[in-house]
Amino acid sequence: MLLQMDNITKKYGEFSANRGIDFSLRAGEVHAIVGENGAGKTTLMRILYGMEQPTSGTIRLNGKEVSFASPLDAIQGGVGMVHQHFMLFPTFTIAENIVIGNEPGSGAKFDRKQAVKIVEGLCDQYGMKVDPRAVVSSSAPGVQQRVEILKVLYQGAEIIILDEPTGVLTPLEVQELLDAIKQLTKQGKSFILISHKLNEVMDVADRITVLRDGAVTGVVEKGNTDAHQLSRLMVGRELMELDRKPITPGEKVLEVANVSIRGTKGKPVLDEVNLEVRAGEVVGIAGISGNGQSELLQVISGLAQPDSGRIAVSGKDVTGKSTREIREHGLAHIPEDRYVWGANRTATVMDTGLMGHQRRLQKGGFLNLKEIRSLVSGWVQKFSIKTGSLETSTQYLSGGNLQKLIVARELEQGTPFLIAAEPTRGVDIGAMETIHGELLKRREAGTGILLVSSELTEILKLSDRVLVMFEGRIAGELSAKEATEEKLGMLMAGGTL
Amino acid sequence: MNKWTKLTLPLLQPIAAIIVGLLAGAIAIMIAGGDILQTYAEMWKGAFGGMYFFTNTLSRATPIILIGLGAAFAFRAGFFNLGAEGQMVFGALSAALVGLYMPGPGWLVCIAAILAGVIAGGLWSVMAGYFDSRFGVNLLISTLLLNYVAVLFAGYLVAYPLKDRSGSAAMAQSEMLDNSVWLPKLMSGMPLHAGFVLAVLAALIIFVLLKRSVIGYEVRMLGGNPLFALFGGVKRGPMMLGAMFFSGGLAGLGGAVEILGSQYRYIDGALSTADYAWTGIMAALLAGSHPIGTLIASIFLAALQTGGMGVERNTEVPLEVGAIIQAVLILFISARFTYSFLKRRKGDKSDGTAV
Amino acid sequence: MEQLFDLALINSALRVLTPILLAALGGALCSRVGLFNVGLEGFMLLGAFSAVVGNHFFGNVFYAILFAIAIVSIFSFIFAYLSINLQANVIVVGIAMNALAAGLTTFSLRALFDVKGAFYDNTMVGLPKWNIPFIKDIPVLGPILTGLTPLVYLSFLIAGLMWYYFYRTKNGFRFLAVGENPLAAQSMGIRVRRYQYGAVLASGVLCALAGAQLSLGQVTMFTEGMTAGRGFIALVATMLGQSGPLGVTAASLLFGFMDALSIRFQGLALPTHFTQMLPYVVTILAMFFFKDKSFQKDALKQGSSSR
Repeated sequence: MLLQMDNITKKYGEFSANRGIDFSLRAGEVHAIVGENGAGKTTLMRILYGMEQPTSGTIRLNGKEVSFASPLDAIQGGVGMVHQHFMLFPTFTIAENIVIGNEPGSGAKFDRKQAVKIVEGLCDQYGMKVDPRAVVSSSAPGVQQRVEILKVLYQGAEIIILDEPTGVLTPLEVQELLDAIKQLTKQGKSFILISHKLNEVMDVADRITVLRDGAVTGVVEKGNTDAHQLSRLMVGRELMELDRKPITPGEKVLEVANVSIRGTKGKPVLDEVNLEVRAGEVVGIAGISGNGQSELLQVISGLAQPDSGRIAVSGKDVTGKSTREIREHGLAHIPEDRYVWGANRTATVMDTGLMGHQRRLQKGGFLNLKEIRSLVSGWVQKFSIKTGSLETSTQYLSGGNLQKLIVARELEQGTPFLIAAEPTRGVDIGAMETIHGELLKRREAGTGILLVSSELTEILKLSDRVLVMFEGRIAGELSAKEATEEKLGMLMAGGTL
Repeated sequence: MNKWTKLTLPLLQPIAAIIVGLLAGAIAIMIAGGDILQTYAEMWKGAFGGMYFFTNTLSRATPIILIGLGAAFAFRAGFFNLGAEGQMVFGALSAALVGLYMPGPGWLVCIAAILAGVIAGGLWSVMAGYFDSRFGVNLLISTLLLNYVAVLFAGYLVAYPLKDRSGSAAMAQSEMLDNSVWLPKLMSGMPLHAGFVLAVLAALIIFVLLKRSVIGYEVRMLGGNPLFALFGGVKRGPMMLGAMFFSGGLAGLGGAVEILGSQYRYIDGALSTADYAWTGIMAALLAGSHPIGTLIASIFLAALQTGGMGVERNTEVPLEVGAIIQAVLILFISARFTYSFLKRRKGDKSDGTAV
Repeated sequence: MEQLFDLALINSALRVLTPILLAALGGALCSRVGLFNVGLEGFMLLGAFSAVVGNHFFGNVFYAILFAIAIVSIFSFIFAYLSINLQANVIVVGIAMNALAAGLTTFSLRALFDVKGAFYDNTMVGLPKWNIPFIKDIPVLGPILTGLTPLVYLSFLIAGLMWYYFYRTKNGFRFLAVGENPLAAQSMGIRVRRYQYGAVLASGVLCALAGAQLSLGQVTMFTEGMTAGRGFIALVATMLGQSGPLGVTAASLLFGFMDALSIRFQGLALPTHFTQMLPYVVTILAMFFFKDKSFQKDALKQGSSSR
């Protein structure tokens, strides 16, 4: 056994992120770890990579007990990690990014030419192509992913941890990555793959460990399992089926006509985007993140201004209007990043919940605290949001509970049009089911919903129509019946049907 | 957490800070060759020993409170307005000019002079706010540098066109205000004037405003996370101009009441030497920009200064010992920000508009 | 106008820009590792004062400068500890450090020398003023480079060295990496805090030199608040120069020239108030041409999501 982790427990105060986890890895094997958000996958890997110290438990490499006090120790022990959010230096070249930490050159001098040669050698050795002189920030996500892997290979890693490696990749890039993994295992490298995408896991893994609530619920050989069994092990029960009642769409609640934003590098960020949302329908926007979805939402909600084109909410032209005016015209917005746009971490739960309602719940310029209190505590009960009190600081809410607070706040606006951007990102299955249920209730009540999500399963589950964005354009439209993961994947990668 | 710890915990660090500050002062006194206990006793007497000294301390605190409140309000909205000195100087100068040259009954001139001070300070401050919101000129730096411009400009006015040529003194100062426009004293024979009442009122008003009003809510959210505020429909540009006007206006008011209630003329350098502006900013920082806290901290810092004067009168120790205690206090208290900024990523760059 | 612009003006610009350049290079180091050092002004003031104190007690310029470096290093260590280890708000710490420097210097002026306002002692030795034998006879270069202190040359040398460090050495490469993405640097086993401490301490040393040039270069005396906002002007030079050694040097040249011009104007009939305003006004104007990151990007960076 190459790697053996025995009885790993990690406690943060009262909370146990890992409870007595056993995990092993054979040489040349791909061992996947699957589980919901918060199941303890990342914590386990941070322990292996020396970023966290276990409360108890042992790690053995090649039978010898080791203890990594820092990532540096782990790297020297032959363990490399590719993080979910790339750990790259955007303005540096690819060669610089790969050799950092062990730069070539005599004495104190850094020999950049030698670095380029080294990287070219690595590319040949492992059959992965990158341009060592290119700057990272102008490289595609798939290339950046390769840079990350080349970096850990350069460091001499025998065990490579990949944490959710496919989140920002197109289906084609995903396939290339999976092929590269298979290629590298033939050269003797071993992989630990953290993922929640079961089809990818089933494609590449040899063994699969399932975690739930910090504990192992199953270790299976790929040949003896299927995606259905894995998802049941992950969640601990059968998932609820949502039922989407047929509805005839009504009035247009959103109209986007020929909207463009010029980019800084010649490529437009948004390129002549046209779309509409009608009352009572859910329009899903699929696409790899970074293809203009964020900018489209910012333009619609007034957080950014388009260079050309027209936007109307509930039939009224709102182009160039401020967020406040657009909200008054009938927009509610569940933002894509709850900490950046959706909350004030240092404010109380009540204050975070009040945003957008403050001008409604007032008397002569003063807040009607009594009414606000009863409103927010109503949400806390209805959505079972776990919080100490309404005066608790927002930063102490867990991600899922904060997301429920934000969803409640925006649904309460009761507007004819709602943007739901990544409404369930990083929340557990229970919260996800609640949020999906509420969104569909709004749909039945006649609200038009624009849903943007990087999870195809979510798009397919909720949408009446699906649009695909690629490089700032609407690359195609499919009805709920036509839409399949394969077709959407083609469009997302810039292909045609 | 039970009620008792909830009440005392926020006080713990300020008290610890005061102890550390006094210890640092004790070291300074030792170096200066003074007797620590005697020096601190003189300091206490200079600040609170008797009605005269007590009201003198409150009178000195008056401009500091107003300036501190102005700074605190801007900080709460997320704008690092460090231009209190220039805003105060223009407020003082305008109040002096109106007081000298406006015809009419004394009480009316006095009110007009106060308003002129507020407007002048507010406009000087809003200029920097406009530069930031329109042209992206770093607010922290521009407000700092505008201080020098304001002080030099006011200095020029009282050195040349408006110079008091009646006296034999070669000092650059304006003529003296007629005593009909002076702010009334609160107690006869004591230095405390009606400006102090304005300062306390301002603190209470800002407290209620921030806690209960819609604008106050939006100000707090803007300071906490500007993107969240923007998302929720708060207009940053107008809010920035408004907050900067309010903040500068309070500093201008501080300058105006100091002229109308204490100095009765604009003397070049008098306001800067007394360090009202920076003491006010320090008070706001000490109190974590809480309005009532700023009021208390301002009186405390003013007491350090008047106490320092007492020390200088009666011992060999120089009065700047107060300045040292004050600075050490702030340094110590700045570590408290650790709690509220715990969740922020380390190594973040700040352009001064985001606290 | 002939008397206004001549070679002696460039000469005087070089003298007055030196403190700004040195401090701005220190500011650039700090801002590269993500610390916006508002305390430059206080560092410099303390440097100027301790250089004079060292001079008075040791009677030797070299020891005076070493003394100033030692004192300001202690001071900058406090800054580093509060802002790096205790994660206090850097701007608040910077403001407090400025106040502490102002208080300490005026207090010590009284406690050590028993004077108010300014200290001057005719036994003190100023920095040597070099007249380099061959260069002083070269037509244009001669008058420009006459009678400059070694610190003037040193400041340009340091700017050059900093460039070499950033762009040619392994250590400098890692320093830039720490500023670019501290999280990624940490995951590579680079000790981020060590580099941050290094930057702050180096800025302390540079500000000590800047202060020494102020109090021992042009004149040999210390006056209260003699830095008069130069630390803040240096901060703007840092921003204008995008924290690169060459850009910072160029920006400092501009401000030094304005400073020299304002001194030159004082010979004319203009009221000194307006000539003294010149450097501040020009600095503010310069900021109009420097597009700072928008507050949105800044806020995005601070609030980036964590799951």
